[in-house]
Amino acid sequence: MRRLSWFNAISLTLGFAFLYIPMLILITYSFNAGKLVTVWSGFSTKWYGELFRNEAFLDAAWVTLKVAVMSSTIATVLGTMAAYVMVRAGRFPGRTLFSGMIYAPLVMPEVITGLSLLLLFISIGLDRGVLTIVLAHTTFSMCFVSVVVSSRLVTFDQSLEEAALDLGCTGFEAFRLVTLPIIMPAVVSGWLLAFTLSLDDLVIASFTSGPSSTTLPIKIFSAVRLGVSPEINALSTIMIGLVTIGVIGASLTSKRSIAKRQKDEQGAIQ
Amino acid sequence: MSDAATAPVSVFAPWEDPQAKPLIQFQNVTKRWGDFTAIDDLSIDIYTKEFFALLGPSGCGKTTMMRMLAGFETPTEGKILIDGQDVAAIPPNKRAVNMMFQSYALFPHLSVAENIAFGLKRDKLPKDQIAARVEEMLTLVQLNKFANRKPHQISGGQRQRVALARSLAKAPKLLLLDEPLGALDKKLRQDTQFELMDIQEKTGTTFVIVTHDQEEAMTVASRIAVMDHGQIIQVDTPSKIYEEPKSVYVADFIGDVNLIKGKVSHYDDGHAAISWAEGQPELKGISPLSLTLGSEATLAVRPEKLSIYTSRPKDQTNVIKGKVLDIAYLGNMSTYVIETPTGEHIKAQIANTRRIQRRQITWEDKVWLSFTETAGVVLDR
Repeated sequence: MRRLSWFNAISLTLGFAFLYIPMLILITYSFNAGKLVTVWSGFSTKWYGELFRNEAFLDAAWVTLKVAVMSSTIATVLGTMAAYVMVRAGRFPGRTLFSGMIYAPLVMPEVITGLSLLLLFISIGLDRGVLTIVLAHTTFSMCFVSVVVSSRLVTFDQSLEEAALDLGCTGFEAFRLVTLPIIMPAVVSGWLLAFTLSLDDLVIASFTSGPSSTTLPIKIFSAVRLGVSPEINALSTIMIGLVTIGVIGASLTSKRSIAKRQKDEQGAIQ
Repeated sequence: MSDAATAPVSVFAPWEDPQAKPLIQFQNVTKRWGDFTAIDDLSIDIYTKEFFALLGPSGCGKTTMMRMLAGFETPTEGKILIDGQDVAAIPPNKRAVNMMFQSYALFPHLSVAENIAFGLKRDKLPKDQIAARVEEMLTLVQLNKFANRKPHQISGGQRQRVALARSLAKAPKLLLLDEPLGALDKKLRQDTQFELMDIQEKTGTTFVIVTHDQEEAMTVASRIAVMDHGQIIQVDTPSKIYEEPKSVYVADFIGDVNLIKGKVSHYDDGHAAISWAEGQPELKGISPLSLTLGSEATLAVRPEKLSIYTSRPKDQTNVIKGKVLDIAYLGNMSTYVIETPTGEHIKAQIANTRRIQRRQITWEDKVWLSFTETAGVVLDR
């Protein structure tokens, strides 16, 4: 192993410190026994217990989860369809305009997306609740899915689909039996991306949520405005934990599948 | 010995039988993309059980023809008939035509056996029937041991055979092969060519192969169509294409050839002669074309048809004097480049039946070349 030069060591330390000190402080104070966030008064897990007795938080968490699952699933279906058409339909009049319009929400300020959706829901008389948040989240996360899936489709060997047609598939069968299984990893990561985007969205959700459907980010944000409580710290720590497990799990699975593939390919050469 | 005309026809040549019904008919087919004409008013008949090669440089339209047969492209004008039926309205999945793709297009998420079974499952065949057919195909391409491997777990040559088995599994009337051996190295390619011919014979399927490799076309095909710029220049058996090309393009595209330019000095029903240089005797050859005296012509003669002499040969026609400019030793044969007094370079290929040390002819030697009257072909321009 090469030893780090002092310069590199310092850069590395500073970089990591910059990224993780805020989170470490948050995690540490979530185990604080006292009510005051900034004063350490001994170790305790009582705020975690408090959290699970807090109906409002649990309700919000449930709403958030429901919204995230529904919106990311719808966004994945629509986004994959959009990506497929954009990559496969070839040149048709207005193609550039269409693809530009699909990707525009990526750079659109969330406030504008949220506001325009709010105006739409009011004008068609749709009561704000879980449904409106799902619709709103689908709208903005669809383009992310579409970007992920289309980048996979661009490198997809089109002769695979032609082979499927040649062997007797209809167009839809070719997609279901050949294209979809092969691009599945991209579709899944598109879904995960949409899911996380929906989980932590505050701005659009606050425009489109109703009184009965508060999501967790909204709940946390409004709670913090009244002062940071150790309960919030505990909740945030749980969320950090979940995200960490998810990320580590995902990277382990992909590493394992790469290792397996390499082993298989070596087997083929012999 | 029986009379050749009454003897049973043992040579496979349905294209010479006016009664034979072609399997595939291209009738004045044109394919355009905008201003670009890929196929230009092309007509051709291909017969059942033929191994038909479409040969030409890239961009000559051979792949477009194949894709029109598979149903991935439709002709802009003209008709394509398979078994007498216009196929314009039949989508690729309803045609009794299967294709082996250049990239093999094996489904990476399915095993070898599942790849082969793919087309059969689409036909909703009973399970045991599918299994039996897959087994039969695996035996045909000798891959039984690899049935459960995924495509990335087998070698390139094995992948090629899986692709072939998959496209043959549905027992198509017509199999299209798009540069099927392009990805294999030379040795494997030669072995596979013979395997392909063997399988074609065993299954009795009509094969249409697209290739830019003239040796491959010569080896496998019953007939070759040499194409250029969306048109068929000549359709003939490999030996006819090689020995009796009808144009300079075909002569030059297939194999090595000496092209000697001159003027027609004599023409008489299939026999022609050209005067090609001041003070040199005329060169005689056969000609499939009708030529006019005095018009520009080219004599095409293959290097291996030339003999080299160290003294002027007696009683020979077509004698050319020159000196040895270059010798390329290829192992089994040597190519001599001879410079004529007029400065033209003519190649002669001599089989090395003796060890190289005993070679009589060397650089700068004065030599005489000669070839028989039927060795060369006199062509337009």
